[in-house]
Amino acid sequence: MDFTSFLKAPEINVKIVTYRDIFQDKAMIENRFGEEYRNLSAVIKLDPSDFKQLSVKKGDSVILKNSFGTVVVIAEESGYEPSHKGIAYMPSSPWSNMLVSDETGGTGVPRFKDISVTVASAKGQKVTELES
Amino acid sequence: MEKNYYVCTGCGMLCDDIEVESEKNIINKVYTACRIGVAHMKDGKESAVFRVDNKPVDEATAISEAVAILKNAKNPLIFGLGTCSDETQELAIELARKTSANLDDTSSYCLGKVIEALLNNKFKACTLDDVRNKADVSIFWGSDPSDSHPRHLSKHSYFPRGTEKQRGWEEERTAIAIDVRKSHTAKICGNYFFQIPPGGDKEFIDALIAALAGKLPKTSYNFPPKRILELANILKGAKFGVIFVGLGLIYSLEDLEPLIQLMNALNEKSNFHLVPMVVHYNMRGFNENLFKETGYVNSVKFEDGTVKHGPEYSIVESLKAKTVDAALIIGSDPLSSLPRSISKNLLEIPTIVIDPCETLISKKAKVYISTAISGVESGGSATRMDGVKVDFKPVIETKRPSDEAVLKKIMEAL
Ligand code: SF4
Repeated sequence: MDFTSFLKAPEINVKIVTYRDIFQDKAMIENRFGEEYRNLSAVIKLDPSDFKQLSVKKGDSVILKNSFGTVVVIAEESGYEPSHKGIAYMPSSPWSNMLVSDETGGTGVPRFKDISVTVASAKGQKVTELES
Repeated sequence: MEKNYYVCTGCGMLCDDIEVESEKNIINKVYTACRIGVAHMKDGKESAVFRVDNKPVDEATAISEAVAILKNAKNPLIFGLGTCSDETQELAIELARKTSANLDDTSSYCLGKVIEALLNNKFKACTLDDVRNKADVSIFWGSDPSDSHPRHLSKHSYFPRGTEKQRGWEEERTAIAIDVRKSHTAKICGNYFFQIPPGGDKEFIDALIAALAGKLPKTSYNFPPKRILELANILKGAKFGVIFVGLGLIYSLEDLEPLIQLMNALNEKSNFHLVPMVVHYNMRGFNENLFKETGYVNSVKFEDGTVKHGPEYSIVESLKAKTVDAALIIGSDPLSSLPRSISKNLLEIPTIVIDPCETLISKKAKVYISTAISGVESGGSATRMDGVKVDFKPVIETKRPSDEAVLKKIMEAL
């Protein structure tokens, strides 16, 4: 009997910082409904220690959740040093925007680069599609 | 042989040295442009699309449906325009007056504050040509031109041998990145990359101001004071310094006061300028055109001959508060670029979308009109990120109308 199936998949809290990516931008110009744009957008870049804690490998699906939305994206290693445990990176896209808070304090400016979410493994699940 | 150069409208740099090979209105080759520019210039399409309720219609039907939406609306929102020419923007401002609309662009949630401060002379400004010819210290603060403005470092800020910088980056230029992650630009900056924690910009500014005044720089995140003092020394010695301000910095400051104080402190010791890293090719043009007309750069509401202004008229707040009852969106996709928690409210009101590309919002629009790509299939003028005016001509022809022509028709029918 596999006891691990009774254990809840580990979940961690991370803060996401969004950024621009030239390859992703180019893919958007060519076809924003295409696979290339989705592959370059629906990703989260994590610190190696966060990978360990989540017990996922690079290329696995993870589910990102907060009270504003839920998306399934692919986990990638950030490659950034030094360690940035608890901070993750996502290219700005409709996927990151599903998780941005509507709280603006009346300023007209959402907190695009300051997103708090929980991350958990979603092995085998498909990346969230853009509804069109 | 005289060469025929075109302007690339792929980003706020408006590179004016682009050559193309085209045949039968298809661009086969693009020379000199970056990856973004090439994709942008090759994105042209021959045929026009007009839709009402997602069904193909003729142009006249699409226009008359758009007019009916605007006529029925008590408080329409007109939004976008960062990828439109000055001529289109001026028409949109006139249309907003005529329809008592709420008018806004993406600058209300990105660099609008900085442009407004520049137009009010709160920062010392310079052009990208000055940067190329004179700059010895460039700071990329919360900006990553290697990804957002790919030719920035090669054409202006770091690699070129400008008239007064013949020895180039090897000897005469220093590039500095201050950022929360090691971006592609930060990699180029090598040892001059200063990594700060998210939200740490204000403290870093204060520490840098202290260091410029010869005091010990302190941060709650224990950034090594020695490195801040070294940075302050480089900045003090700059003959022509520039800060290229990006969203990473702006989003982490509550207001521009710390940045104004830093620029003042720098200019007591040396000579520093500020250039905003505007992404959409004519967002700055929109800000300047609206400023000329109203004294504001964005977030306005026209009503009975008066103009109101404030964040409550920004796209974000007006959608949140559901104060707008229809939307005309020109060259922008709020469903993609705004938080879904806010942009979803657009789906509850009738929308007219005028855009060269199919987008998330064009697919949901009540009326969709596909227009020529400004700068590729139609001409006009625009304002570069540094405030320089640039005229451009179309590279190829298309059957799609320009956004200017569509707005004119809507105006006439109103
Ligand atoms: S840097 Fe900007 S303007 Fe220049 S070629 Fe690239 S996209 Fe076009």
